[in-house]
Amino acid sequence: MGGNKQRQLSRRNLLLSAGALGSTGLFAPHIAWSQDGKILKVRSYSDLQILDPAFRLSAPEGDIMRAIYAGLATNVPGDVWDWKAVSVESLEQLDELTVAFKLRDKIGFTDGFGQMTAEDVKFSIERVANPANESPYAGDWAALKEVEVKDTLSGLIHLKNAFAPLWTSTLPTTTCSILSKAAVEAAGGKIGAQPVAQSGQYILTEWTPKQRTILRRNPDWAYEPGGYDEIQIIPIEDPATAELGFEAGDLDHTWTAVSSISRLKENPPSGGVVLEKPSLAYVWLGINKDVAPFDNPNIRRAVQHAIDTESVVEAAYFGAATTSTGIIAPGLPGHRDKVLYGYDPDKARELLAAEGATDLSVTLDILNQSERLTAAQVVQANLADVGITCEIKQNDSGTFWTLGSKDGDYWDKLQLIIGRFSMEPDPSWATAWFVPEQIGVWNWERFDSQEFADLHAQGMVETDPAKRDEIYKQAQDIMEESGCYVFLTHEVTGVLHRDTVAPGLKPNGEPLLGDFKPV
Amino acid sequence: MGDCPILAYALKRLVLAIVIISVAMTLLFAMIYLIPGDPAKVALGPRATPEMVESLRVRMGLDQPIWVQFWRFYSGVWRGDLGIEVLSGRPVLTVVLEQLPYTLALIAGAISWSVALGIPLGCIAAIKRGGWVDRVVGIVSVAVIAVPSFVIAIYALLIFAVSLRWLPAIGAGEPGDLGDQLLHLILPSLAVGLGWVGYIARMVRASMLEVLEASHIRTARAFGLPENQITYSYALRIAILPTVTLLGVGVGQMLSSAVFAEIVFARPGIGKLVYDSILTRNYPLVTGSVLVTTAFFVFVNVIADLVIGALDPRVRSGFG
Repeated sequence: MGGNKQRQLSRRNLLLSAGALGSTGLFAPHIAWSQDGKILKVRSYSDLQILDPAFRLSAPEGDIMRAIYAGLATNVPGDVWDWKAVSVESLEQLDELTVAFKLRDKIGFTDGFGQMTAEDVKFSIERVANPANESPYAGDWAALKEVEVKDTLSGLIHLKNAFAPLWTSTLPTTTCSILSKAAVEAAGGKIGAQPVAQSGQYILTEWTPKQRTILRRNPDWAYEPGGYDEIQIIPIEDPATAELGFEAGDLDHTWTAVSSISRLKENPPSGGVVLEKPSLAYVWLGINKDVAPFDNPNIRRAVQHAIDTESVVEAAYFGAATTSTGIIAPGLPGHRDKVLYGYDPDKARELLAAEGATDLSVTLDILNQSERLTAAQVVQANLADVGITCEIKQNDSGTFWTLGSKDGDYWDKLQLIIGRFSMEPDPSWATAWFVPEQIGVWNWERFDSQEFADLHAQGMVETDPAKRDEIYKQAQDIMEESGCYVFLTHEVTGVLHRDTVAPGLKPNGEPLLGDFKPV
Repeated sequence: MGDCPILAYALKRLVLAIVIISVAMTLLFAMIYLIPGDPAKVALGPRATPEMVESLRVRMGLDQPIWVQFWRFYSGVWRGDLGIEVLSGRPVLTVVLEQLPYTLALIAGAISWSVALGIPLGCIAAIKRGGWVDRVVGIVSVAVIAVPSFVIAIYALLIFAVSLRWLPAIGAGEPGDLGDQLLHLILPSLAVGLGWVGYIARMVRASMLEVLEASHIRTARAFGLPENQITYSYALRIAILPTVTLLGVGVGQMLSSAVFAEIVFARPGIGKLVYDSILTRNYPLVTGSVLVTTAFFVFVNVIADLVIGALDPRVRSGFG
């Protein structure tokens, strides 16, 4: 009996506790801590795994590293792609092959690793560039010859050849984060999820896996301070969850789902500001030219004419995004004004009839993501309209990203695909994946043009913006002429932030944590 | 052991548990290798050269024949080594054990909801058999069983977190702050446990009706014992036994519901860890986390069986 009584009492206690907790919630509504400029809560779409600039796996890791490791330069927040100095007093291109730098004299590393020196710059840059280290970012320094140390704070970066992306997608990126040579060597050359010797505006003080990362102001940072005492970075993969978290007051800044932008703009959450930022990413319908029936150029051309890109993009992105004319976004050299082969279903039917292709059945592989599925369904309807039956095959990310690989067994069955690549603000980033060496790697359409490859190589060393513009326009013309591509959109990035926060954002909406300020 | 049938029974269950875990791991290992996708390529992303992808494949041991990988994994498990998470270089066991407490707390919370609400509702429905209370409880029970947990999660979040702002929407609470962690647990555990309120209410009602007709209850009434004492001290004690079994099996279902709750409420946890690692083909993490989850599930069921034995002399007498 005593035992029974004990159980009843426990249950009652439990109910009472639950009630008390609920009441606590009633009287403690959530507060947007950013209002007092102390704590900023931002969402990242993935948790960190590696805090090594040479081996970073995701953009959110890069965002954190920019804040905790002072780089030579970083992007300027705003609507124009530009750079500003971080750890340098001066950074100057002396000639096509030489960049001179002089470090600020009050940049120090934590954990007793002393002042940042030119030797650290040499170590950090050459560590990325050295092929023996197998950094996936070695290409950012493809043109590096060596870094010459002049004195404690000064040095020269020598290039083997002119390198156009240097000031856009190399120097201001996480690739140019400067690490302490002594600290990395002490760590055995490898950096995991715990940072080594931090030097930025903020220092990472806590990482609770899958839950949050906390950055606090670096007390030893002698220059423009970060805007908040503390930044909490909360990994939330699903943008819809993040939007709800924002509406519930648990976040101060998040990216939104593209499909939510219209709704949020019409009815923004209380105290929330919705921004639309042009994305650099590009989405396209790819056509594998080595697989029947698309080994026939006229069938490929028919598909190009069959797709109503306006409808595809309108349906998939709820009117928030616009159609694209190529793989290079507006604002970058090489952006085209129009496509060569637009929507013309009559022309598509004509081409199909001329080829005797009356009963075609094809497959379209996509990533299992809502925007992609909607786009695929409109493509399917467009193809049906010209007499082509299209089966949509959805793939999870692990499967999708290997479909066109020459090492797999599907590349010779892959027919149509909706692809999406993100990129840095230099056109060479867009063309790099479509050269012949990339066939079966990332060039799944198996588009094979030496002329295109030559133009890509030319664009890498051409520093005259007008000439680069021509080069990349011509390169995209060749892509479209091949019949392998239907360019869909560059998408758009939705940003939701508290009106008490002035977010530091790159022109494409990616966060620059060091530039977030309280209003 | 012949003198202690419960110990013999426990040992039998333990051996069976090891066999179940081994079979589950073998199936899992076979299954993940049938899924298309190259973990090295997924992990390194588009910028990696084929040489780098190959190098990572070697580091992950994926260049070895499948039986070698299988043996490495199995022999490692018996040494308590679930391998290394290749990308971050952290031990898999550490990664899994970091996430496990969040899921255990979620399931404990869900069980608390289902027991705290389901048992009283089932009892009341049985006592008020045929009346309007019984009918309402019946309708509500079936309704909460029928609605998927992720729907409950989304509505709970919209109502209590977004509209009313009574409870937090995302995360697991401030580390080290038990009160905050409990607040963060209320909505997700409700989402996972609400369906089980219905199951348990139905189960308790049915058992109670059966037990209330039993001869020993009639005898108790004949002795003039108070009705509350008969119901809660004698009838419920017997009627609750199937609920323990149900909860044991239900933990598996709750683990799968936890995946949705962890995604919707952006909570850390082992369900989400498994889901993410399958998407990224992070084989060491998939196998490690599923092994721990399977072991947990089997362990809970062994405990449930032993608890039933301890509570029910009829079951206990069958141990020998």
